[in-house]
Amino acid sequence: MAIITEGAETISLDGGRKSRGNLTKARIRWVIVALLLVFGTVGGRLIQLGATVTDSTIEGIERDVITASRPPVLDRNGLEMAVDIRVPSLFAEPRRIIDVEEAVQKLRTVLPDLNEDWLRKRLTGDKGFVWVKRELTPAIEEKIFQLGIPGLDFVTESKRFYPSGQEASHILGSVNIDNQGTMGIEKHMDDDSLALLQSIGLARGNEMTPVNLSIDLRVQHVMYETLQDALVRYKAIAAAGVMMDVKTGEIVALASLPDFDPNNPSTLFQDYNGVKNDRFNRITSGIYELGSTFKTITLAGALDSGKVRITDRFDARFGVRFGRFTIDDFHGKHRVLSVPEVYKYSSNIGTIKIMQQLGKDDFRAFLGRIGMDKTVPFELPEMRKPKVPDKFSEIVAATSSFGHGLSVSPLHMVRAVAAFVNDGNMVPPTLYKRSEAEARQLYERVISPSTSAEIRYLMRLNALEGSGTQMNKLANGYRVGGKTGTAEKVVGRTYSSDKTFAVFASAFPLDNPRYAMVVIVDEPQDENAQSGHTAGWNAGQVTGRVVQRVAPMLGIAPDFSEMLDTSLVPVELR
Amino acid sequence: MIKMLNAVMVCTSLVGLVGVYALKYSVEDIASDKVALERKIDRQEGDLSLLKADWSYLNQPAHVAPIVARHQEALALVPTAQDQFGRMDNLPMRPAAPDTQALDALLSSLDAGIDPIEQLIEAN
Repeated sequence: MAIITEGAETISLDGGRKSRGNLTKARIRWVIVALLLVFGTVGGRLIQLGATVTDSTIEGIERDVITASRPPVLDRNGLEMAVDIRVPSLFAEPRRIIDVEEAVQKLRTVLPDLNEDWLRKRLTGDKGFVWVKRELTPAIEEKIFQLGIPGLDFVTESKRFYPSGQEASHILGSVNIDNQGTMGIEKHMDDDSLALLQSIGLARGNEMTPVNLSIDLRVQHVMYETLQDALVRYKAIAAAGVMMDVKTGEIVALASLPDFDPNNPSTLFQDYNGVKNDRFNRITSGIYELGSTFKTITLAGALDSGKVRITDRFDARFGVRFGRFTIDDFHGKHRVLSVPEVYKYSSNIGTIKIMQQLGKDDFRAFLGRIGMDKTVPFELPEMRKPKVPDKFSEIVAATSSFGHGLSVSPLHMVRAVAAFVNDGNMVPPTLYKRSEAEARQLYERVISPSTSAEIRYLMRLNALEGSGTQMNKLANGYRVGGKTGTAEKVVGRTYSSDKTFAVFASAFPLDNPRYAMVVIVDEPQDENAQSGHTAGWNAGQVTGRVVQRVAPMLGIAPDFSEMLDTSLVPVELR
Repeated sequence: MIKMLNAVMVCTSLVGLVGVYALKYSVEDIASDKVALERKIDRQEGDLSLLKADWSYLNQPAHVAPIVARHQEALALVPTAQDQFGRMDNLPMRPAAPDTQALDALLSSLDAGIDPIEQLIEAN
């Protein structure tokens, strides 16, 4: 191993052992480098794999959101009003489809309603996911599986189903294809909390606490059926009704016709007898001149102020003149009337006199106190602001006292009637279950208990002797009392006498009030030659029929003893 | 000595190898069982949701009412009228002592083959 070099340079030689050692070291170094490279590659690949985000979205929407479920909606007795069902939805992965033409032809054998060109365009391309048809039945799913087309698959979605069909359509509302509420209580639930729950991923799977509504489906059914019967019987263009628990503010039934099918929300936009957008909720988003039912409000305000007493008498011999106009009575008695007579005979003159004794500003203030000039706080998003002038002129105050010249929703009226019979305690209506103790916290006193007793007497008196006798004949024994209202509809620029709007605002049983109800019938015709055309003959009869059927369900026994009615009469009038 | 140790280690690694692979395959089996079960649960939940929806549909007043209407004539069904309701206090009080005479008379008439209730029904 000697190396011979020329010159005087020092020659250094490594020993055999040392040179072998160096060689080993070099080899070890190479091995380390190789190992580092290998592990580096593996590690790098791992990081790369870890960093790739797999696209789990379906056309930009998280898969979880699509399968998101909604809580079942139950009525107050636990009967389902809305449930989720799991249905298969067909999707395609175009990049995995081998023969588009074959796939299109085969698919159309099972789903013939799909447009051929649309489908071909849909299945061509390099996309990872496209919907083909959503919310199919298990039978169709099976048939498509049998076709054996590659690149087609199913995902299970939640679909909302309303077993009660149209009966509670306006209460429940509807959802869109992504299971988000678009109307009614479904929308309210979303706005309230559900959307948040779904966004943070809690509303998944089947374990959602059911929501109990205040609706009693049996009562709702009777209300719906009776209103449908009313449409036919009185050839009316629309009818609606709402029933409220006066003590808790719970809405027990709410129906408005014409309506729609929540299982097929597009029916909402179908024309009804050639009229566009007629299927809205008349109870909350319809505002009307509620006619003589307003006399209950005027009298309640006047009696509560102390300026008018139940024993007072008012001169109703001559019509009241305002410039060119004279307001007269429909069923004119043209004599001096006592307060109960003004109510019983529904005297416009008497009511104007009573309102004038109260004072038009006090009357307007009272309307404000019972919330007539604001939207009723309620869960349904379909609401319309009432039309009540901020300041009353003499003539507007006069017409308002019998329900013309201002428009409120039937929900306003039912809340006011409920307050008047419930010892003057007004409670906001709700569609959710509420106990009496909870409701008491929300009570707002609008009239005194003694005025409330007088109003109860007046309402019952009207059923026994006034315009409510048709109703009382049907609901005899259930101590119903109420006031009719027959408002002439504005056709063009004047009030028409053959197109009317009938209202009946009632409460029962008046010896211990539990429920208030408002029924409206739009443009009713006479049922037969013997019947009249005022509200008592249509809206009143509807009320009677509803009470006759629902009172036993609600645990109210009929009682025919006259003592109950006489005990309602105020001491001053006995 | 070292040979012995090597033999033991080879055996151990063989056993280890077999063990690990067995574990791997059993875990894979269990995982696929789990997926199958999950699918089954999912399908059954889907079926259950349909059955529940069906049940609540059949229970709806809207569904029951037409059935009642269909059999109204055959079963003579009418809505309950107000005068058909009774009250507990409308019932007469229980007699202070049993009416032994009337009971004896009833029993003897029954023995004689005369059923007063049957007669009542026939009379109507």
